Amino acid sequence: MFTPGSKYLIAITGLSAFSLAMYMLLVHPSALGAVALIGLVAATSLLTGITLFTRDGHATEDQTSAAIVDTPTSSMWPLVGAAGFALVLVGTITTPIVFIFGIVAILATLVEWTVQAWSERSSADVAYNASIRERILNPIEYPVLAAIGVAVIIFSFSRVMLAISKDAGAIIFIVAASAISLVGLLISVRPQLKKGIVQTIAVLAAVGLVGAGIASMGFGLREDLVVAAEEDHYSHQECGAEKSDHFDKGVSETISATSGADATIELVDGKLTAQVQGIEGLQDSITVRRSNPSNIIFRNKDAGEFRLAANLGKKQIADGVMEDVVTCTQLISEGSEQWLTLTINKPAVSGEPYTLSVPGLEGQSIVVVVP
Amino acid sequence: MLGRVIGRLKTVILGTAGTVFLASCASNAPQDTWVPKGPNAQKIDSLQKPVFAVAGIIGLIVAAAVIYSIIKFRDKGQPIPKQSHGNPALEITLTIIPALILAVVGVFTFRTVFDLNKTSDTQMIINVTGQQWWWEYDYPTNNEYGITQPIITSGQLVIPVGTKVLLRETSRDVIHSYWIPALNGKRDAVPGRITLNRIEADEPGIYAGQCTEFCGLSHANMRMEAVALSKEDFAKWVANELKPYEAPAKNTLAKEGETVFLNQCSRCHQVNGLTRADGTPVIAAPDENVWSGAAPNLSHLMSRNTFAGAMFNLVTPECRTDVWKSESATFGAKYLAGVDESCLNQTDLRGWLRNAPAMKPMYANPALLAATGGKYRGMPNLGLSESDIEKLVAYLLTLK
Repeated sequence: MFTPGSKYLIAITGLSAFSLAMYMLLVHPSALGAVALIGLVAATSLLTGITLFTRDGHATEDQTSAAIVDTPTSSMWPLVGAAGFALVLVGTITTPIVFIFGIVAILATLVEWTVQAWSERSSADVAYNASIRERILNPIEYPVLAAIGVAVIIFSFSRVMLAISKDAGAIIFIVAASAISLVGLLISVRPQLKKGIVQTIAVLAAVGLVGAGIASMGFGLREDLVVAAEEDHYSHQECGAEKSDHFDKGVSETISATSGADATIELVDGKLTAQVQGIEGLQDSITVRRSNPSNIIFRNKDAGEFRLAANLGKKQIADGVMEDVVTCTQLISEGSEQWLTLTINKPAVSGEPYTLSVPGLEGQSIVVVVP
Repeated sequence: MLGRVIGRLKTVILGTAGTVFLASCASNAPQDTWVPKGPNAQKIDSLQKPVFAVAGIIGLIVAAAVIYSIIKFRDKGQPIPKQSHGNPALEITLTIIPALILAVVGVFTFRTVFDLNKTSDTQMIINVTGQQWWWEYDYPTNNEYGITQPIITSGQLVIPVGTKVLLRETSRDVIHSYWIPALNGKRDAVPGRITLNRIEADEPGIYAGQCTEFCGLSHANMRMEAVALSKEDFAKWVANELKPYEAPAKNTLAKEGETVFLNQCSRCHQVNGLTRADGTPVIAAPDENVWSGAAPNLSHLMSRNTFAGAMFNLVTPECRTDVWKSESATFGAKYLAGVDESCLNQTDLRGWLRNAPAMKPMYANPALLAATGGKYRGMPNLGLSESDIEKLVAYLLTLK
């Protein structure tokens, strides 16, 4: 078995490999620290290999003679290791993800090939050698392979869902879930089902899913997602009276907690009113603290959809070019409400007060005072 | 043996009683929680005193029973007495009695809590904003009290007596807690939330307070004072706060100080009405320099008695004592007189202008501001020359 020296070096190699992986993932793959850690991994791997090969200098003739006469079995790991080195080289000039795949392949090769080589020299009994290899590596291989399998399934499925329409996505989701349930039901009611059949179903499903994922990547994202990305719908806001197809779609129109509100602005019968907590009656101005996020509740009690817009002066965007600073709620339907959070760092310029207004509603505004 | 134990016990009891007695004799205890000066604090006082009495009596009974048992049944080599397990009647009694006491206390506690949270009869709103490590007060317009334009101040909260004032508290950075013991209980100021705290003062005077939620390096220096004025005096204070800015006369030291202020101080500190040489208004940009986003507005600075988050007196100890100890009838006039050159605490003000972080810990070391993007958490050392300080003091004295 493993001698004390080899255990020590295996642990150092594993630790340095883990450190390298973490460093490259969390810090930077091409930083000087990564180079140093790669050197450490290479050096400790070499020492580990030598120690394992020589059995820490304590191997006796009796222990090794039977194994030496046995011919090693073939192994795919040299090929994987070579591919890993190629990926590392390609990764250094292309993208970090390729580099990381290469490192993972090299690490897998180091572990797998080392253990395989060690196990094949344990005895002259091939079956026994294979069994001790599995005892060591299966607890690592199964979780890793399962994680990779789950990741591939999720990634493939997500590509499919992003390529097809929302309605088709819902249908496919229902069909896929039903199919999985049916297969599960079949296996549970027919436990005597042949292993080969189950394996065939699983392989066909996996190949189909991965194939669909690859095909979906070829088709690309569905059109509305492409348009939304191109036009930046996720941050774009229309503060006019018009309805924005994206910004105003599916708005949240209820507020669960109102204790943090500075004021409540209501639209009733075409009139805009302000209420401030603790002050009786309606106000035509509200006070907002400087440089502090202030929450305003906009409540629409009028027929139709309206938004509240905060007109916060102008800002210079280029020499001599000024732009209105406006922020707003989404379009709110009758009887609904939404937060508008304002952070105003400076008082308004004299004669041009900050105001809250409803686009399309003339002559109605609430003055926002910033002391 | 017993005599020695009793002798030591006497020493401990007498020592404790003496310490408590001496502590209760403190003449300068402005944050005494047992001396309410307004109806809200009175409600708390009316609740806490009976509860304290009941808890004290129960505590004494329990302590006496424990001490009696310790002495009476101490190990004297006697045989172990007969052991009993369970006494339902006694156990039920000892459960019901505390439950009844707590129920009675609970009823009065809930009633007090609801009373203190009542806001429907509010007469005045003041927005209170906590920031490391000072409090800002802004008064929204309130025609009934002559506040035709918003007023903003810091350090001292000025209120009219006999007026139900609602403090709308929040914070710009971390959680602070506003507490003026003589006027009401404490209430946290939480970023992103508005918490309501009602205060009312019966008599004119100054009531001290202290931030009671640990909020960083200078938490202990984050003080506040509520100044209660008669309604007539409050109207005068409002009128003074709304008074337009008056630039210092030309060719004076104060005018030179105004220039220093424009160059050094107005980046963060606002003085309402201050204009540049070309007539454009000066709008401070504390959000660009201060991590929490604001710096005290120094308009009418000399109408206050404190500065630097109420940590330092703006007036000399003699002048301050004169204001603090004055009778109700004369208090308003003395406070409204503000700070003149004879009363100005030159030592602390000049020290502050010379090197503020040396006087109040504020994370203001420029070499350690990476975490805040180069912004300060307090006032930095501006490296002013003694000549500039001289001019600034002369200018600040005009801000009355």
